[in-house]
Amino acid sequence: MKFTKDIIIGLEIHVELNTNTKLFCSCPTKGSEKPNSRVCEICLGHPGSKPVVNKKAIEYALKLALALNCKISQEIVFSRKSYFYPDMSKNYQITQYEVPLGKNGKINLKDSSIGITRVHIEEDPASLIHPKGISSSKFVLVDYNRSGNPLCEIVTEPEIDSPKEAREFMKQLITILQYLRIFVPGQNIIKADVNISIKESGYARAEIKNVSGFKEIERALEYEIERQKQLIHGNKKLKQETRAWLPEKGITQLLRTKETEEDYGYIIDPDLVPFEINNELINKLKKELPELPEQKVKKYTEKYKIAKDDAFVISSELKLTELFENIIKKIDPILASKWIRRELIRVLNYNKIELSDFKINETHFIDLLKSIQDKKITEKTAQGLLEKLIEKDFDVNAFVKKENLLIISDSNIIEKYCKEAISENQKVVDDYKKGNENSINFLVGQVMRKSKGKTDAREVKELLKRLIK
Amino acid sequence: MDISEYINKVKSNEIDIIEHTKKVIQECRKINKEYNYFNVISEELALEQAKELKKRIKKKDTKGNLFGVHVSVKDCVCVKDVESRAGSKILFGYRPVFDATVIQKAKEQGAIIIGKTSQDAFGYGSFNVNVGLDFKIPKNPFDKERATGGSSGGAAGITQKLDLPHIAISESTGGSIAAPASYCGVIGLCPTYGRVSRYGLMDYANSLDKIGVMSKNIEDCAVLLHVIAGHDNKDSTSLEEPVENYPEFVNKKSRLKIGIIKESLAKGIDPEVKDSVLNTIKKLHDNGIKTQEVSLPLVFKYGVQTYYLISLTETSTNLAKFCGMRYGYEEKLEGNFNEYFSKIRSNAFNREAKRRIILGTFARMAGFRDAYYSKAMKVRTLMIQEYKKLFKKFDLLVCPTMPNVAPKFYEIDKLTPMQNFMMDIMTAGPNLAGFPHLSMPCGPEDNLPVGIMFTADHLEEKKLIQIAGIIEKLK
Repeated sequence: MKFTKDIIIGLEIHVELNTNTKLFCSCPTKGSEKPNSRVCEICLGHPGSKPVVNKKAIEYALKLALALNCKISQEIVFSRKSYFYPDMSKNYQITQYEVPLGKNGKINLKDSSIGITRVHIEEDPASLIHPKGISSSKFVLVDYNRSGNPLCEIVTEPEIDSPKEAREFMKQLITILQYLRIFVPGQNIIKADVNISIKESGYARAEIKNVSGFKEIERALEYEIERQKQLIHGNKKLKQETRAWLPEKGITQLLRTKETEEDYGYIIDPDLVPFEINNELINKLKKELPELPEQKVKKYTEKYKIAKDDAFVISSELKLTELFENIIKKIDPILASKWIRRELIRVLNYNKIELSDFKINETHFIDLLKSIQDKKITEKTAQGLLEKLIEKDFDVNAFVKKENLLIISDSNIIEKYCKEAISENQKVVDDYKKGNENSINFLVGQVMRKSKGKTDAREVKELLKRLIK
Repeated sequence: MDISEYINKVKSNEIDIIEHTKKVIQECRKINKEYNYFNVISEELALEQAKELKKRIKKKDTKGNLFGVHVSVKDCVCVKDVESRAGSKILFGYRPVFDATVIQKAKEQGAIIIGKTSQDAFGYGSFNVNVGLDFKIPKNPFDKERATGGSSGGAAGITQKLDLPHIAISESTGGSIAAPASYCGVIGLCPTYGRVSRYGLMDYANSLDKIGVMSKNIEDCAVLLHVIAGHDNKDSTSLEEPVENYPEFVNKKSRLKIGIIKESLAKGIDPEVKDSVLNTIKKLHDNGIKTQEVSLPLVFKYGVQTYYLISLTETSTNLAKFCGMRYGYEEKLEGNFNEYFSKIRSNAFNREAKRRIILGTFARMAGFRDAYYSKAMKVRTLMIQEYKKLFKKFDLLVCPTMPNVAPKFYEIDKLTPMQNFMMDIMTAGPNLAGFPHLSMPCGPEDNLPVGIMFTADHLEEKKLIQIAGIIEKLK
């Protein structure tokens, strides 16, 4: 392939699928964390044991391949990838080689599109534990609880142009995985091997292993590009090499230089008969596919007339999408989108609450928005209520009533507050009269304070203007 | 005493199963001292099972097609809690945590497991002289200077030598049931690939391995096969077709049409083998069975080569798991992982295992894979087609099992590895193509045994049982 761009990035992502049992045996994928407690003769690779494929895992992987617009292969064929390593119970990994289950797909981002070379399914190796750290430990412990968990590997074309785009890609992929309900963030592992090269070096490729999380990918890439540039400026030559990302230090570290491609001596796994993917199965899975983020954006902007940016933000988070779609059954979609996109996210950010951890009682959230929609409370009041609601659930309507938070609709009372504000701040009034337009906002604030936020700011402003004239 | 008579006597307590089991174990020990047929005699398990049966007899709960039948098991088939090593030092001390499906089925029908029989390590051999390091070579029951044949030599030897009711569970990849059955003068039946579950069979070559049966007479063979055959969810390659009632076919009359494989009787065959086989065919002919000469040119030209390419390629991946880490032979933990597992594998694999790992690994490396492994897989498909054409016209194909009678050990020593591989010329074809085949003795009783081999179409085990029934009655 001939490259011309400044930066060439390609990703190889491993994502753990959220099945109940492992890929080739019936051991649970979740449960006891006690080392080597969720194992059997199959995932330990005992002689005589044989793998039997978990059809659910295949379905999950096929759904992903379909969602990534891949061409689906006609049969599932597994291969043995042979290499000796202590985390490999059989010293070969059952994976897919000759025939991946999906290829030639793509993911559309906001402003670009990234090609997917292949999607395939394979078994996870065991986890290695270095009791005194990877460099100083004299021995390693092996925990086979993870051995045999189903992994999906997604390989992109080398078409990503920047660390930011890599981040966007990962974010979008994770969203799609969530939409498909085949992956739970925080519970299932997602990791990427990142290939990065720059024009200045003649595209000498570095591979950064096992970077987890979309934010980390951006950081790792930013660091690595800078490192490569500095080496070139210092007249050093770059070698093809494999590096590790150390998130605590924010640097990459050399693992090994790559002189030759390893030869894994792949053969078709003769214990697993090829498994036909018929149209019936594909059609069934297609029917089960949910609306994906891209389709949501289209629907939100076209059907509900929501701003594209808002639609994009909401559809990029499954939780927000679900919340949005539930509340618009009762609330105007534009109002709902604004309150989710702006206010809800503001409150979450302020309180440093991750989306994955946040909970809200939808009925009460709807009550809140309904009150705004019906002009029963002011936006100011609503903001305060939302902050409380995120902290702890309560009955919004009852609270509004009890605390007497209803908007003040009696124009006499509003006028009374306005007049008070004018007489108490004659200097400000003078400023305004002299042409300082902004000074009126101070008076509005005074009225808001007097009314405990229960007046509509715009209405107050207009009234003040009239009264001062 | 035939098997059904024996089972009835056990059930009625005419034979005391505990005392009888003790006697069987004692006899096995005696034979083993001289002939090395067992890697392990599982006395404890056998007595435990016998006591269990005894209890059931008292409760009149005696269901089971193998009730009280003593069964020996080739070492490569996992028996829970009994040291199972596939004949190799590298599995020293390994006691499986589970029963192979065939063992589970046999136990459920009341079989008593008496031990693990000797084999070429991992099944790598035609004479059972390639035993693992620290293992003893089994000796031919008719002449201790001669080989039993392999790789299921222990199974064949004890089946011949033990004069008490017993059936052997054995295994074939490229001829490991037929060859020793031929040299030891017993019946050996290797079923269709996938007919019997491989779950719990330590792999030699997964696309070729088949668990089968050895016995003194065809009825015993049919009874055990009937128990162990059938679909198993734990083995993805096992066949779903229902199992036929094999014992019914022992005495069933029918018009079988037999093709005599021309190439198998050409040059290179011992004259006494040829005579015995042709003589038996003539007797069949005289009894109204139609015979005709047929040809399998591709199978006889490329069968052995194709068989070795596929089996060694697969086996080189199967043996990777043995590294002294999770089970089996261990040494002091020293050096890094690569140094440690290399040491273990150097010290615990025998020469033949190393040869096959190296050859098989070579054949699957990038650049060679297409020329060797992938091509061999294609040739295999062509061979199946060659056979299938004949099975449209013939029920069975016949040939000698081995080109010779059991050779002496010093004769085997003189063979080159290639000559060694060529011993599988008759058996490679049906094994490669997954066809069921049966070897049974056919020579004069006072000479060294000669085996005649029949091959049937996929899932036509019943025809093998029928023909064996007919030949038994000719005597």
